[in-house]
Amino acid sequence: MIHPDIKILLLVLGLFSSGFQTNADREAKIKAAFLFNFTQFVQWPEDALSNQQEPLVIGVLGENPFGDYLKDIVAGEKVNGHPLVINYYRNAPEINTCHILFINLHESGELREVFAHLKSKGILTVGDGDNFIKAGGMVRFFKRDNKIRMEINAHITKAAGLIVSSKLLQVADVVSNKK
Amino acid sequence: MRSYKYQPVLHLLFALFFVLQSQSAFSQETDTLTVHKLKSLSLKELMNIEVTSVSKYPEKLKEVASAIQVISREDIRNSGVKTLPEALRLASNLQVAQVNASQWAISSRGFNNVLANKLLVLVDGRTVYTPLYAGVYWDAQNFILEDIDRIEVISGPGGTLWGANAVNGVINIITRNSKDTKGLFAEAAVGSNLPGLASLRYGGQLNSKISYRVYGTGFKSGSTFLTSGSKAGDDWQMGQGGFRMDWIASGRDKVSLQGNLYDGAPNPDAGDTSVTAKGENLVARWNHSASDKSGFQLQAYYDHRLRDFGNGFTEDLKTYDLDWQNRNELHMHRITYGANLRLMEHNVTNLQLFAFLPAHKTLYLYSAFLQDEIELLKERLNLTLGAKLEHNSYTGFEFQPNGRLAWMPAKNNTIWAAVSRAMRTPSRIDRDFYLLITPDLSLISGNDSLRSEELVAYELGWRSGSFKNVSISLSAFYNVYDNIRSAEPGTPPLGIPITFGNGVKGNTRGIELALNTQPASWWYLKGGYTYLYKNLRVREGSKDLNGGSAESNDPQHQLVIQSNIKLPQHLEFGTVIRYIGNLPKPYVSEYVGLDARIGWKIYRSVELNLVAQNLLDKRHTEFIPSSPSAREIPRSIYGKITCYF
Repeated sequence: MIHPDIKILLLVLGLFSSGFQTNADREAKIKAAFLFNFTQFVQWPEDALSNQQEPLVIGVLGENPFGDYLKDIVAGEKVNGHPLVINYYRNAPEINTCHILFINLHESGELREVFAHLKSKGILTVGDGDNFIKAGGMVRFFKRDNKIRMEINAHITKAAGLIVSSKLLQVADVVSNKK
Repeated sequence: MRSYKYQPVLHLLFALFFVLQSQSAFSQETDTLTVHKLKSLSLKELMNIEVTSVSKYPEKLKEVASAIQVISREDIRNSGVKTLPEALRLASNLQVAQVNASQWAISSRGFNNVLANKLLVLVDGRTVYTPLYAGVYWDAQNFILEDIDRIEVISGPGGTLWGANAVNGVINIITRNSKDTKGLFAEAAVGSNLPGLASLRYGGQLNSKISYRVYGTGFKSGSTFLTSGSKAGDDWQMGQGGFRMDWIASGRDKVSLQGNLYDGAPNPDAGDTSVTAKGENLVARWNHSASDKSGFQLQAYYDHRLRDFGNGFTEDLKTYDLDWQNRNELHMHRITYGANLRLMEHNVTNLQLFAFLPAHKTLYLYSAFLQDEIELLKERLNLTLGAKLEHNSYTGFEFQPNGRLAWMPAKNNTIWAAVSRAMRTPSRIDRDFYLLITPDLSLISGNDSLRSEELVAYELGWRSGSFKNVSISLSAFYNVYDNIRSAEPGTPPLGIPITFGNGVKGNTRGIELALNTQPASWWYLKGGYTYLYKNLRVREGSKDLNGGSAESNDPQHQLVIQSNIKLPQHLEFGTVIRYIGNLPKPYVSEYVGLDARIGWKIYRSVELNLVAQNLLDKRHTEFIPSSPSAREIPRSIYGKITCYF
């Protein structure tokens, strides 16, 4: 009588090991949706988005954690008339026009280098490493109670000429470490 | 004939298999996080998505080898429950029975009773049991349910981490961080068995690092019924207020401070004078993370409770507690260790013939624990070994070790096994209680040599985190008990005084199954089944007056199914169905309960709720205590308006 039970158990296990939507995927999807959402809650300096036809660029620096998901989300979407474009960058010098940048790097040194490069370009920098804000980043995703939360460094966004809507600030943890 | 017994199990497995298979095909199309859905969500809605899918297991517990069920804030809201004990009905691994308007019998893995003493309940790290009988006064555990983040219900022993009295289970009530409760919240409800309920909470930000909330809430609850059909008159009311502050002191330090003040007037005996149950508490906590891999938590609390039973007997308890926990990751070891110090000033005013002696007693409790979670194979096999050494004022040192093995054959799939020892240390009722017939003649007399009750538990479980849209937890246990409390008669011919002894032993076994699923983006379904079998007997040499049956009255089968459906026009329809089997002694007939809620968001920040509870019968009894008389819980309906600004 024991054999059939084991067989079924193995079948069930086998099934489980194949068809997963991992939590990591899920987390990345939620973060992608946040990036898309940010386009509506941030005002860029005049020169960063001069005319209506100019696209609003969401960039990813470092390994792309989103798959095609970010592209799928923005497909056909416009924000205040600006079409949305996704760009992937291998390194900071490649970045020219960009408005929101997700930085998937976790070394403090690397991060500082990137931020030095992006200074005064009016780019909203987003990341999820523990040291992201400390290294000079603007928005950091983290998990609290199994949900995605944000930390925003108000001082640095302001210095970069970005105006972050109070609606976004309200739901985030606002920190302001002057450096 | 033997193999026939396996048939139902086989059927269940087959059924499970097919459910899963059809589910996997189905959920391809209705994956809850479609591009279309996610991009249509507002910022606030995005912030409410659980990262770990439907599993709802908090990060640290996701792979822990124990039987845990989580009641989320959404579950509470969708079900339309209005009190904490009602919310606990949503966990199918708990036995929950309403005794009368203010009293509840709540336990896990059996031994349920109004004075149930094998379950540990924590509210934001504060233990809420009374050393009078090692149980919980449920009538003093009140919340604005909206401010509860989640309730973790762990069935099975938790003595190693949480200490004595976490014998059969632990309930962890976790309130929301004040960061997440900004703005004004107001609710008001009235119904057929709810003369009124109102709450007001305001949350804000003092500066970029300090958030807070303050609240006040009060209710008047209706009466239950006598078996004759007339109202029992045990209606009661309660008022409560409090605050919570959270301070991000630095990137590595978080501090929180919270306090509550309450005053209630439960009246279970339906007498002329009600009981006065009031108190205040204050909890301060400091979390420091030195790095991702190490940190500590320091917590201190003060809790004062006063209960005046209205007949001259009063109980006053002041608890001072200091707790320190440290965690460290070293290579393949995740080491947690800590120490706890607790002082309880327990003071009663005795009656002439009903007394706890001495009337004033200072109880000390100190303990230290060490637990090591060893990653034997990376992301595949974990071994957890831990033990707690605890000293109490009655029995001295108690040792509570446990060993757990978790095997992850695939991602988010855990098969686990555990062996643990847990103790229920004596409380005042066990050692110090005297019931007298005349000032010189005792009917019940304290026993200074009563020992701790002991449990050795063997558990086996399987948990699947986020398989598409289904998450499953299945656990089986075999508990071996010894030295369970008995009532021993005195010397013949009168057989008095009766004393408490350790004359009962035996075992219990059972299965707990819990399922969460989201068949469609608009439909959330959750359910659980618990089977419990007890085999308790009187030890040799014991003459237990109750034949081993006094400590518990539990159903063998129970089933809970909760459903929530999002309808168009901002409407929601939630239902909770529960089946509770017969209770053996005193006999209480099985029943099916049905609660239903219709929620309607009439405006962005205003929601109307219509909730019907116990729809299926006019009245039913859930538990018969030895005193007061048996009561019937009526069918009821209430309306509630909720506003968020």
